[in-house]
Amino acid sequence: MRATRGKKGQFIIIAALLLSIMIIAISTVIYGTVTYYRQERWEEYVTIVDSIKTASCNLLQVGLANYTQTLNQSVLRDYFNLWMRDVRKAYPGFGVDLSYSLASGIRSAYGVNINYNLGLNRTWNQQVSFSASDATVNIDLASVGLTGYNFSSHVFLKMNIRDAVWYSKESKRYVLIHISVDKEGPEAVVNLQKSNFGVKLTGATQAFSMKRYYSRTYSYFIYEIQISSIGALPSSVEVALQDTRGIKTVSYTTNIQQSPD
Amino acid sequence: MEDLMTKAKRAKNQRSSKGQMRVIEAVMASLIVVSAVAFLYLFAATPSSQPQETSELEKIGHNVLHDIDEQRLLARFVYRSEWANLTSALVVSLPTNVYFNLTVYDVNGNPINHPLMQYGNQQVFDSSKAVASVSYIVPGYQTSYSPRILVLKLVRG
Repeated sequence: MRATRGKKGQFIIIAALLLSIMIIAISTVIYGTVTYYRQERWEEYVTIVDSIKTASCNLLQVGLANYTQTLNQSVLRDYFNLWMRDVRKAYPGFGVDLSYSLASGIRSAYGVNINYNLGLNRTWNQQVSFSASDATVNIDLASVGLTGYNFSSHVFLKMNIRDAVWYSKESKRYVLIHISVDKEGPEAVVNLQKSNFGVKLTGATQAFSMKRYYSRTYSYFIYEIQISSIGALPSSVEVALQDTRGIKTVSYTTNIQQSPD
Repeated sequence: MEDLMTKAKRAKNQRSSKGQMRVIEAVMASLIVVSAVAFLYLFAATPSSQPQETSELEKIGHNVLHDIDEQRLLARFVYRSEWANLTSALVVSLPTNVYFNLTVYDVNGNPINHPLMQYGNQQVFDSSKAVASVSYIVPGYQTSYSPRILVLKLVRG
């Protein structure tokens, strides 16, 4: 009887020892995991990657804005080459290495075919005109062994002359143009002002007034441009747009309707 | 008869001493577990709150600059030298008990000439043990490439 009781006590002590070993082992693993996360400063690295990503997207906008205003086809390549060098300077000690590839050839996006050359395209002087840029950026962070993090970014601006109508009443003769503007997303651009537009009728610059509203007719956000005192049916309508990012596009149409009344 | 009663008493005593042993064993076992945990706790160097605080401030600082950039205001403020607007935007966006100091550098690390952009006394920055520093890069504005590096220092007041 005494021997049995003694054996039971030993068993409980052994069980307790095993339990304590288990607790120690689990606690060590958990503690190691927690401190590893803290030691590696993941937050800082995520912040750097995020910062470079946002700035690269902004660079694409700056490049497209420059291209649409100067027509310098190699501007995006030049900017990215400088950007690769400057990012290393901006984050010394992190082993940041940036590489990029600019879009090339025909790609379909936002309902149009975009023919990229060195990551840039402008398709202007059409009823639906657009400017676009596209690049893929690769980020390596040697300090944490992060390699091959890449993302694609694109910038887009599209203007569509929905219609252009010449109203030829004796008392009031004017031209009314309805325009819609989209950017990447696709997303309707709704914050443009009169100063963002320029209008030409039959090649001559015109003064105009502008309204913007959501149109039930087009089920879209519309910019309505009115040019007063137009005595004859114009042969062409040209609308130039430069958005708040500095990106430009020019739409052109000869399809001008004459109001029946 | 007496023998029988004595035997019964003995058996009762044996049962009670067996129960006592079980209790002692349980106490010993729990003592071993507690001492093991206590022993481990001695070696557990829990992270101090200072790095945690700095990390938290860095996160706040980066998020605020990112938000202002997303609204397309950051580049405008920096390249058009709208320093007062930039300071106001930061004051509004940051929590009220967070003080900041912002310096703008070119890509070679030379400071851009701008007025002091600071919220909170210099003493707060000097005396604080947890000063967070956030670097944010802006590549250019409108059509020109001219990177600017914003260094935002943050402390909790």
